[in-house]
Amino acid sequence: MPRLPLGDVVDRGVDWLQFHLSWLFDAISSFVTGMYDGIDAALSAPEPLLFAGVLAVLAWWLRGLLAGVLAFAGFALVDSIELWDEAMSTLSLVLVATVVTLAIAVPLGIWASRSKTVSAIIRPVLDFMQTMPAMVYLIPGIIFFGVGVVPGIIATIVFALPPGVRMTELGIRQVDKELVEAAEAFGTTPKDTLIRVQLPLALPTIMAGVNQVIMLGLSMVVIAGMVGGGGLGGAVYRAIGNVDIGLGFEAGVSIVILAMYLDRITGELGRQVSPLGRRAIARAKEAAGGPSLWNYRPQPVVALVGVVILALVAGGMGVFGGAGKADEERAGGIGKGREVTIGYIPWDEGIASTFLWKEVLERRGFAVETQQLEAGALYTGLAGGQIDFQTDAWLPITHATYWKKYASELEDLGPWYGPTSLELSVPSYVKGVDSLDDLKGQSARFEGRVIGIEPSAGMMGLLKDKVLKEYGLTGEYKVIDGSTPGMLAELKRAYQKKEPVLTTLWSPHWAYSTYDLKKLKDPKNAWGKGDGVHTVARKGFSADQPEIAQWLKDFRLTEKQLTDLEAEIQQAGKGEEQDAVRTWLSENPQVEKAMAPQ
Amino acid sequence: MIVSFQRREVYVSRLQSEHLYKVFGRRPDEAVRRLEEGADRAELRSDGTTAAVIDASFTVEPGQTFVVMGLSGSGKSTLLRMLNGLLAPTAGRVLFDGQDLTALSPRELRAVRSTKISMVFQHFALFPHRSVLDNAGYGLEVQGVSAPERRRRATEALELVGLAGWEDSWPDELSGGMQQRVGLARALATDADLLLMDESFSALDPLIRRDMQDQLLELQKTLKKTIVFITHDLNEAMRLGDQIAVMRDGRIVQLGTAEDILVTPADDYVASFTQDVDRSRVLTAGAIMADADSAYGMVTDSGRKLTCAKDVLAAAPITVMADAPIVGLFTPCSATDAPVAVVDDSGELTGVVPRSRLLAVLGEPMGSPEPAAKTASLSTPDADLDAREVARA
Repeated sequence: MPRLPLGDVVDRGVDWLQFHLSWLFDAISSFVTGMYDGIDAALSAPEPLLFAGVLAVLAWWLRGLLAGVLAFAGFALVDSIELWDEAMSTLSLVLVATVVTLAIAVPLGIWASRSKTVSAIIRPVLDFMQTMPAMVYLIPGIIFFGVGVVPGIIATIVFALPPGVRMTELGIRQVDKELVEAAEAFGTTPKDTLIRVQLPLALPTIMAGVNQVIMLGLSMVVIAGMVGGGGLGGAVYRAIGNVDIGLGFEAGVSIVILAMYLDRITGELGRQVSPLGRRAIARAKEAAGGPSLWNYRPQPVVALVGVVILALVAGGMGVFGGAGKADEERAGGIGKGREVTIGYIPWDEGIASTFLWKEVLERRGFAVETQQLEAGALYTGLAGGQIDFQTDAWLPITHATYWKKYASELEDLGPWYGPTSLELSVPSYVKGVDSLDDLKGQSARFEGRVIGIEPSAGMMGLLKDKVLKEYGLTGEYKVIDGSTPGMLAELKRAYQKKEPVLTTLWSPHWAYSTYDLKKLKDPKNAWGKGDGVHTVARKGFSADQPEIAQWLKDFRLTEKQLTDLEAEIQQAGKGEEQDAVRTWLSENPQVEKAMAPQ
Repeated sequence: MIVSFQRREVYVSRLQSEHLYKVFGRRPDEAVRRLEEGADRAELRSDGTTAAVIDASFTVEPGQTFVVMGLSGSGKSTLLRMLNGLLAPTAGRVLFDGQDLTALSPRELRAVRSTKISMVFQHFALFPHRSVLDNAGYGLEVQGVSAPERRRRATEALELVGLAGWEDSWPDELSGGMQQRVGLARALATDADLLLMDESFSALDPLIRRDMQDQLLELQKTLKKTIVFITHDLNEAMRLGDQIAVMRDGRIVQLGTAEDILVTPADDYVASFTQDVDRSRVLTAGAIMADADSAYGMVTDSGRKLTCAKDVLAAAPITVMADAPIVGLFTPCSATDAPVAVVDDSGELTGVVPRSRLLAVLGEPMGSPEPAAKTASLSTPDADLDAREVARA
């Protein structure tokens, strides 16, 4: 069987599209971004609790008092765990994705319901969209649209489109044929048949599709978080990366609260907007009997007035309270408000150095934005020019694949920390194993397993092909492919039960300060020389921002400085990174001077 | 001039079907050619084409009720849908109100459907998301009639079918019979001349069905619509139809009045249908009467000899008009040998129905093998057993 160059074809196709259709992608990107920014601004403007009240009144109107109370309690919880802004940007992301999805899905579904050919063509395409793993088209998505919310929204649309189309088609096809025939028999035009008969009767099914679209959208927010979508997805992704179970749970619960709210509200809205649904409600009411507090619903007018008043109050409060915080320190300085975007992978040294630079650059008058990304997305974003620089490139070994792919689009501003090292580690309570040599014949203690990370990571290849071979461990040990969070979770579990565990690890890593671990010595030097942690910028950055480029080239941190800063950030907790940096800088003023001499 | 005037005269509000064919499947035109050459339905089916309607020709005069009768799959619903263009005929023409409907553009056809032809469906086909009033006014809405006018005419139509006061109800609140009345009101509201009714009463239970038939007959007395009514129930066909077409396997096998079909069925198939018909309600005195002369010379129970029309009228247990169903003649006839007198509008004797004739027409048409077979089966042991069971009971 000859090897079909399917992948190469796709590769070339993506390049071709990027080259020839960039105007289209730019247009889509600015349209989606504009929509997202608008909705996000509107949603996050009001005081959280008042806006929660607005949402609660909506729930009360549609589903009754209990639903209203629960909705308020849920959103109050989101606010109290300080995830309100994230929740609102996630909500905006989902809303934008839903609106765009429906704008495409409903007409497509109608078309498919009227033509067997269209239906037959669309079906496999929908299957493809729904089952193709999202990460596969996320990276091309970044190439086309750049990092940020757009590829996240596009991925959500691609994923959520199929049920929207299918439910619309199904709903229309399910309409009693005799009714359609009746409409035709009285001379109704096809267009009016659709509007007067088919759509109203298909509406309950279509609304079920809308509900599905929203739910699938919410399930995609985590993936959107990996490409810079931010919001609750970003929080979850970051929590996973740091094995921060608490934050993960908080962000997860917030997503669940949003999901349940949207599910119940759209479900009820589906019944309210369709005439058939209203008939069903009216009949249920007759059956239920007299009024009570629990099934009392404010009349639409009353509810609307209530919502408007609450919204106005909420909006007013937002004007006084919300905005305006950020702009204080930006005005003067050498930066003159020029914008800089720093991307980072949510690894400790990345977070520490990124927020250190954010603080320092803001003090110099730059407007700095930070974006949390997955490694592949980060490099793609840099190469595409949406990210100015990142401080966490492990070169030349660990990030070799990315470097090889994008070197021509990037500038290496040199290492600021190093050398790093790759190693196998065991907890210090594992006696008698101090060096890779000691592992021979010990496989029973570790169940013959080395807990690995992502199989794509550079060090995994090195471990399998070189390190195990040189120490004669091939066959005795099996390298378990997995993920960094998975490896860290396994380490945590084993550590708490004091079980022997053998993990792939690297320095610097917070695990060494959290757990008492031994790095296994490498007398044969099989791991090779360590990486340096480099700063990498997009091509042309040093020409555009010569001062920053020079500062970055001169940037150095010692192991002590980095570990201290990481510890400070760890203590301050999520969302307070920049405060932690300020505290640390006030104790280490010489670092700032060295970083950016004025 | 005169010629064209006459042609038009022939068309006006009369419905004509000329050699209509409907073939589903591949190469329908070739199938029509083969059917014209005498191929039958089974031959075509083996090629994967289905001939639903084959060579259907008939004329419905204005104000007439034309019933198409047949079992399911006989093509009657397909035929009906070609009459208003919901299905395009494979061959043939439909002429209505001076127009060849098969030659119209889709837009023109829709205009005809919205103003001149309306339809009543088997399962009512009411729009569940519209109130009764909005359902009744649907056709008017399509015509673009203004809302107040629509309301007025829909209310009128509902009154006509006996649903005054139900305007603001919803279809799901009505019984089946009432729903079909809404369906009828919807069809009547547009003032269309031609009413197509597709098994409209089949889904109703027998008592309601009878009510609806009565109501339709009653409405028809004043409205005088041209109606094409589809049914699989011969009793219904005979009650409603001025003319009946019996369809089988896509072909019209007999076309005639109820009595034609009952008294002289075209073939065994039609005859077997008529077995279940209540002849006493379908046959009329006029259809079975003998000449008045035949009664002359008869001697009655009381010893009186009938010699003239006056004698016959005096002796007759009952005197009826020609269109009276014979069901009403049995009880009077049981009391006396004298024949029933049939008179015309002016009271002149036009014929007589003797008791013997009354009994003869109730039996099977001549030549039907069925009764003989039944008699034979009586002699089997099982039948004897049944008979004994019956006797004991």
